[in-house]
Amino acid sequence: MRPILCLAASLFGSALFLAPGAGWALEDRVVVMTSYPDDLVQRFEQAFERANPGTDLQIVWKPARDAAVELSKPDQGGIDVYWTPSLGSFPRMRDAGAFRPLAVDRAVLPGAVDGQFVSDRQGFFEAFEVAGYGFILNPANLAKHGVPQPSTWRDLAATRWGGRLALPIAGQVGFSGALYDVLLQAEGWEAGWALLAEAAADATLIGGGGQVSESVIDGHADVALTVDFFARSAIANGHPVTLVYPPRTAFLPAQVAITKSAPHPDAARAFVDFALSAPGQTLLFHPDIRRYPVRPDVYAQAPAGTVNPFQRAGAEAYAYDMEKGLGRHGLIAELFDALIVRDHDRLKTLWGAIHAAETALAAKPDPERAARLARARALAGFVPVGGADVDRIAAVFYQRRANTNPDERAVFQKEWETCVAAAHAEALDLARQALPTP
Amino acid sequence: MRRAFLLVAALLTVATPLWADDGVTVNIQGRDAFSRPLPALDPARRAAFQTGRSLFQQVWTVGPSEVRSDLDGLGPLFNRQSCIACHAKSGRGEPPEGEGDSMRSTLVRLSVPGGKPGSAPEPHPVYGDQFNPDGIPGVPGEGRATLVWSDRIERLDDGTVVNLRTPSLLLRDLAYGPLGAGVMTSVRMAPPVIGLGLLEAVPEADLLARADPDDRDGDGVRGRPNWVWDTARGAFGLGRFGLKANQPSLRQQNAGAFNGDLGLTSSLFPGHGCTASQAACQAAAAGEGGPELSDAQLDAVTLYTQALAVPARRNADDPLVRVGEGLFAAIGCAACHTPTLRTGPFPALPELASREIHPYTDLLLHDLGEGLADGRPDFHATGRQWRTPPLWGLGLTAAVADRAAYLHDGRARSPLEAILWHGGEAEPAGAAVRRMPSLNRKALLAFLDSL
Repeated sequence: MRPILCLAASLFGSALFLAPGAGWALEDRVVVMTSYPDDLVQRFEQAFERANPGTDLQIVWKPARDAAVELSKPDQGGIDVYWTPSLGSFPRMRDAGAFRPLAVDRAVLPGAVDGQFVSDRQGFFEAFEVAGYGFILNPANLAKHGVPQPSTWRDLAATRWGGRLALPIAGQVGFSGALYDVLLQAEGWEAGWALLAEAAADATLIGGGGQVSESVIDGHADVALTVDFFARSAIANGHPVTLVYPPRTAFLPAQVAITKSAPHPDAARAFVDFALSAPGQTLLFHPDIRRYPVRPDVYAQAPAGTVNPFQRAGAEAYAYDMEKGLGRHGLIAELFDALIVRDHDRLKTLWGAIHAAETALAAKPDPERAARLARARALAGFVPVGGADVDRIAAVFYQRRANTNPDERAVFQKEWETCVAAAHAEALDLARQALPTP
Repeated sequence: MRRAFLLVAALLTVATPLWADDGVTVNIQGRDAFSRPLPALDPARRAAFQTGRSLFQQVWTVGPSEVRSDLDGLGPLFNRQSCIACHAKSGRGEPPEGEGDSMRSTLVRLSVPGGKPGSAPEPHPVYGDQFNPDGIPGVPGEGRATLVWSDRIERLDDGTVVNLRTPSLLLRDLAYGPLGAGVMTSVRMAPPVIGLGLLEAVPEADLLARADPDDRDGDGVRGRPNWVWDTARGAFGLGRFGLKANQPSLRQQNAGAFNGDLGLTSSLFPGHGCTASQAACQAAAAGEGGPELSDAQLDAVTLYTQALAVPARRNADDPLVRVGEGLFAAIGCAACHTPTLRTGPFPALPELASREIHPYTDLLLHDLGEGLADGRPDFHATGRQWRTPPLWGLGLTAAVADRAAYLHDGRARSPLEAILWHGGEAEPAGAAVRRMPSLNRKALLAFLDSL
């Protein structure tokens, strides 16, 4: 069923040349820039080269920011195809004129998954795969520790984990900006931060993407928040873990585009064709990859137990706003540091005091102390950026690692540090006052 | 046939250890069987192990990188861009499928005659000591390498038919001119990297005690140590790692692989392998500063490879497996594939010290005959000698890999094919397997599958 994707025929006459059986030879190479892990890249490289003998697939591995530099060069670094899981990069590069238009057969590639449009409405890049966000957990260890399995985001704050919940540090783990934004949009900005603060107080914070799920695999944690492919791959590799999607989650794309200056345009198109073909998309089911195809038709070949994000059971009607989220990742990382990472011990002490007071008040109710405790809870979950201001302030932290406008950032950071410290101090005081006297 | 089977069963006297809770093996059988840390690994070293794992999986990038200058420096010439590109899931690689394919987890060593006896091979004057198919932008890769296969049928005494395939190296699109006459090539498929720290911790004296280069005991099995250059010490030392035991330590093995396979310099290998004929390679390398792989990164990867656990045996008490174990010893396999060694003191990673291990190797060089010979000497290893590869984890090869392949170049598609390729000092063992009744061969293979 290839090809299903065609570049504008006026540019390349591709419909003619890629007609099956035409015997048309591609260029001898295609240069593909990516930040995908080698487990995925290797298998596509091997399959593509075997399907296209004589065309060498050359991989240039670059993190997103380096990739942007490369594509901004006059010759775009000799890159033919940009193929990567980096949500924000593609719209930015499209707007900078980095890509050629693609024409896609929407009967085969709907461009939308789980109610979300994941490709480019202007037609310059196309979704290649999607990944969702949820919990990796070890049911046996949860049972051993007498802890119920979480099924919603709110369950994270409702359980006392004793450090056996692993959370990725938003500023250090690539996927966590999207993960926390999905949670915050699902639960609401202020309520979501309060939930996160309470859960994080009892959690282990982890700074490496793969290490988050690894902490559950190796038994150091019972539950972790993760992008799904780490969990799905662990399951496929035989580890006794499971994956739970909260009813309100989102499936976000990785995408592919052909550069405007592609020196090997026909081979580039052949690669994109392959990546989006049924054989290419089926590779995503490999145990070491386990990402979700964007072609609904290949789910007939999915391994047993595969969730079909096109027909997800148990999902709530929830319209995650991906474009809004994209602008917020930098701000979320900063706030995660300010609220959770920078003084994790203080957070632990604070929520420990609140939970102790709640337990005591449940046994010996006291309306006045309960009111103090409610105030303590509100302060402990306080986020110094109100929902109405989010998108305005998010713009300041949009390119967080680029170190632009450092003075403006510093002002916010100092202000947050001061008011969060004050709020937490007051909350701790109130929580202690709320403890019934013996 | 039945009588032979029972006879061997009766000869079995030593119970197979279960190795439960031994601190070095893990009870795991899935695709991640080669990717787990030693159970005994000190929790304080977990973060360093994870860092090493991350670097082992990392795809290295062409410099300079604004974002990750710690991960740039790929090339100018290279084979692959990550360790796992060859050692997928810390396991073995696979050879190319034929003329239309190319080497992905297999490489070609090159040398020319003229090296001094007992020294490192003399690199090819144009292509260096390793064929690097790829180059960074602006630097032509050296060409394409693949294997083409020819089949031959072997019929065993009980009528079993085995299809053996012989590889021929095919180099094409050579970017720097023809190789010339007399060039020595050696195809090497990536071996698994489990249990290497344990092998490093075996005292040198214990390994040398097993050597018998002059066959004084007359059993036809010699076993010769390879004495190789230890860069850090600036002296010759016992080779333990590499398919010809041409590396004295894991640190040097890893640094050498980073240098030769990925083009990354380090304090042990500060230079690139660009030859005088490779101007673009030299120009690309000229502007570089210090080592691209820091000592801390090299240490982390070395810790990772030292601390990868060995999967525990499966079905070790199965009667058929136990018969196979007896046959393994009886026909002489165990003379080189030594079942049991003991580690000594190992200050770098004390968790490895003083443990009984079952690697099924003596880490010595043996003549494997003309069929497996590469004709390329390497320090004291002749063109017919290979280091005995460890067999632990062998039975999980197919579970871990997409396509199981065995021997130094991946020509064997099953352990039986691998055995049938054994010649030289292992000729009698190979002949015994050819003569074996079916049930005994089944038992032998069941034993190998339990490792």
